[in-house]
Amino acid sequence: MTADRRPEQDPRHPDEHFEPYELDASIPWPLLGISIALGVWGAATLFDTRRHEERAQVERVEDTQLATGQAVEPGHALFEASCATCHQPDGLGIRGAVPPLAGSPFVRNGPELVANIMLRGIDGPIRVNDSLYDGHMPSFASVFTDVEVAELASYVTSRWGESNRALEAAEVAELRGRVADLGSFRGGAGVAEDTGFALDEQPTFASGTSQPVSPEISALIFEGRGGQWSCASCHGDLGQGRENTPRLAGLPTDYIVKQLGDFAAGRRINESMAVVVAELSNEEKRALGVYYAGLRVPSNARPDLGGDLERGEQLAREGDWSLTVPSCFSCHGPSGFGVATEFPPLAAQHAPYTASQLAAWAGGQRTNSSLDLMEHISSALSAADRRAVADYLASLPPVPAGSGDMLAEQGEGQ
Amino acid sequence: MSSETEQDVPAKPASPRKGRLVKSLIFAGGGTLIIAALGALLYESGLIPGLQRGDQTVASGYFQPPSNDEMPDGAFGDSVRRGQAIFMNTATNASQHVGNGLSCANCHLGEGRQPYSAPMWAAWGRYPQYRAKNDQINTMEDRVMGCFTFSMNAQHSVSGEPPPHGDDIYRDLQSYFYWLASGAPNNTQMEGGGFGTVPKTELGYSPERGQEVFAANCAVCHAGDGQGQKDINGRYVFPPLWGPGSYNWGAGMARINTAAAFIQNNMPLSRPGTLTDQEAWDVAAYINSFERPKDARQGDMTVEETRRLFHDGDDIYYGQEVNGVLLGVGTPDPVRPVGAPE
Amino acid sequence: MNNYLPLSIISLGILAFATLMLVIAPGIEMARPEPPAGLQPYTVEEQRGRDAYVSMGCLYCHSQQPRAPEQAPDGERGWGRPSVSADYFYDSPHQLGTMRTGPDLLNVGARLPSESWHLTHLYQPRAIFEWSIMPAYPFLFEVKAEAEEGDVVVALPPEFAPAEGVVVASQEALDLTAYLLSLDRTYPAPQDGIRDDGYRPRGDAE
Repeated sequence: MTADRRPEQDPRHPDEHFEPYELDASIPWPLLGISIALGVWGAATLFDTRRHEERAQVERVEDTQLATGQAVEPGHALFEASCATCHQPDGLGIRGAVPPLAGSPFVRNGPELVANIMLRGIDGPIRVNDSLYDGHMPSFASVFTDVEVAELASYVTSRWGESNRALEAAEVAELRGRVADLGSFRGGAGVAEDTGFALDEQPTFASGTSQPVSPEISALIFEGRGGQWSCASCHGDLGQGRENTPRLAGLPTDYIVKQLGDFAAGRRINESMAVVVAELSNEEKRALGVYYAGLRVPSNARPDLGGDLERGEQLAREGDWSLTVPSCFSCHGPSGFGVATEFPPLAAQHAPYTASQLAAWAGGQRTNSSLDLMEHISSALSAADRRAVADYLASLPPVPAGSGDMLAEQGEGQ
Repeated sequence: MSSETEQDVPAKPASPRKGRLVKSLIFAGGGTLIIAALGALLYESGLIPGLQRGDQTVASGYFQPPSNDEMPDGAFGDSVRRGQAIFMNTATNASQHVGNGLSCANCHLGEGRQPYSAPMWAAWGRYPQYRAKNDQINTMEDRVMGCFTFSMNAQHSVSGEPPPHGDDIYRDLQSYFYWLASGAPNNTQMEGGGFGTVPKTELGYSPERGQEVFAANCAVCHAGDGQGQKDINGRYVFPPLWGPGSYNWGAGMARINTAAAFIQNNMPLSRPGTLTDQEAWDVAAYINSFERPKDARQGDMTVEETRRLFHDGDDIYYGQEVNGVLLGVGTPDPVRPVGAPE
Repeated sequence: MNNYLPLSIISLGILAFATLMLVIAPGIEMARPEPPAGLQPYTVEEQRGRDAYVSMGCLYCHSQQPRAPEQAPDGERGWGRPSVSADYFYDSPHQLGTMRTGPDLLNVGARLPSESWHLTHLYQPRAIFEWSIMPAYPFLFEVKAEAEEGDVVVALPPEFAPAEGVVVASQEALDLTAYLLSLDRTYPAPQDGIRDDGYRPRGDAE
């Protein structure tokens, strides 16, 4: 090969043997620049994705542990996130509704009692100093780990009691095992009786007899009938629900009856439920509502949609007024326990169910909300917001349902 | 090399000038691509803070007060936090001075931020101010004292009176308002301040028509009897609109025009602006056609004297007969002050 | 262009690099054989049902791989958290699938835990969803004049029930249902589980 491969010919008059040729040319710098820039970009993207993966890992760990904050003072962050909604950040409670922690005989008796109450919850009246409180403290057993219960109980008693003892997680684990099957304390008298602590004079618990379930209704719930599947086969033996099958335990009777009616009338579209309600009489609907309203089951809901829990908490507690979205709690009650029959409990509902219902409202597949309130709120939320708020609500303790009667009374009495 | 080619082939169809043009175009295009790629990289990595999405959410056109996570630390921040707690939950955090079931936040929505819900960022720069209501210059403290006296019906509270001048309650509330108004202009009527107005309608207002509007739009939350609803722990979630648990006859909300504006601009919650002017007037008239605690200024005067002195010419049913009942007499005093221990 | 050597070296190099990054490295990363604590091996019955699932080609319409929220709203559909490689520990061959003519089934046992629902649905999907395009599987069932001891009777709305007698599930239908109910990966994902978390835009706004 010669050094110069060009044919020796006048290029102005190419003959038929003309061969196209290519000159040796250096790569033009724009091309080089583009390649290098793309390379850098690609490498950066790789790095970026790695960062996302790491963050997702961290979030997954946090979600699993339901960690609400690893602040310097662990109990404090947990208190702010989970207790302050009712007991207030300063521990003074709410006049006439939520008992104070400051100066309370229950807190003065040390962290074991506080941990016990957190694990079991209280139903029925208690007396704190001169005031009577007839409310419901939910059980946090399904929400907090032993470590978290220990941290919170120690924090509460060191701040408002006179104890400086730090409760150990192992003690909480032992306590949890002991009280697992006992259910809620029955009023202040129940606390005093069960634990033997001195708690001044406590009102007695007027036991509301829960409605016995008739054999027919029981068969409907657990065995099904004719062309119907049993309720329990999807909603669980205790109405606890799973994934996008909702938790029914503790929902108000009237709310359940309304929903069953809406399925039958096509105001709420769910093919499986349409089959089930087709053969239910009104009496049966009510009996089922009473049964599920009276169930008390620990939460099995978990925030597993990968939503941003902080954003979810913000939406639930403050709302986002730039979207004209008031907080969930401004209608569904300050702890998401529901208000009367129009605003059902949201706490401990399964995240996929909550998110799918919000999406259904936004998409027009569910249209049975009063004044179209939920339709508008859901449409204003982005998909990420819906996941976030559904996840946050799933992380809350369940509504401390009493008997169906008791709830109905509360709802109507006010 | 390339220049050599250009010299050697002068008669090629493409002129040298055109070649150079193409070349510079390639260079320019390449440069643009590189800049775009680097720019995208910078944007992605968040190195251009001004371009981030978070800063573009100012959409409403109203003044944007700071959000809760911007609360300062230190003694002032603590005061702001206490002020917000009082604002949100007045019956608990100013328990000695609240004689009904209301909180500041019931009328000032969005933690006192919502435009046309008498937002505190707009109110802060408007005081001191002359008010005909008491014919004197009112400071912010005087104004809030008025809220306790009328909207929170302090005479039925444990102390029987609003917090005295100089009380820490005022200090903390004013810290909160001052902080909400960070960056707001002083002594200026701000867009979104107050409750707004609803134009008068031809038909005027009527409680009878309002009753239907109420049943259709309000009863879901405030209950059919207007007494609000509580959660299972007995906390008010929806405030009572009339009767002993609501604001008294001296409150601004007892005037039908004020209530109509508040309702149209804020209710139903999450769906403001859905009621027509007529509906807003009618339902405001309905809500304010029931008896409520008596005007705190009445003292030993008769209802008619009080009406002439304080309510003359207002859109209010005070001192008038509605459905055969003289309004303004006041609901009976409670057996025990509101919130007193049993 | 006569310089074949550099061309071959470069192209082979690219191929080798791609193989390393796309085949060998992921292989090493995923070759961590450890079943998650919440995952049980299939029982004999479930395994038989799994064979039926394979032989009837369910795979052609149903995937078994829920996606991350950033990629698809599978979580809101109730299809469960994004799957990780360990979720398929006992699946050989896995039934990932690529078509979603019907819903994803990896967590169908969690979201539809009712055996009787599944039997009805297999017998006649239109008995529940009138718009369903899923084929019916009546050959998995038997119409008998009367249910015998141990028979599982299928609950059917009147318009889909036979005029005479009852519909009874065959063993194959029960196996298939058992397999479907065993599809439940709702336990927390193992912390070292590999999953594609998708692309999360900055600010997480949408």
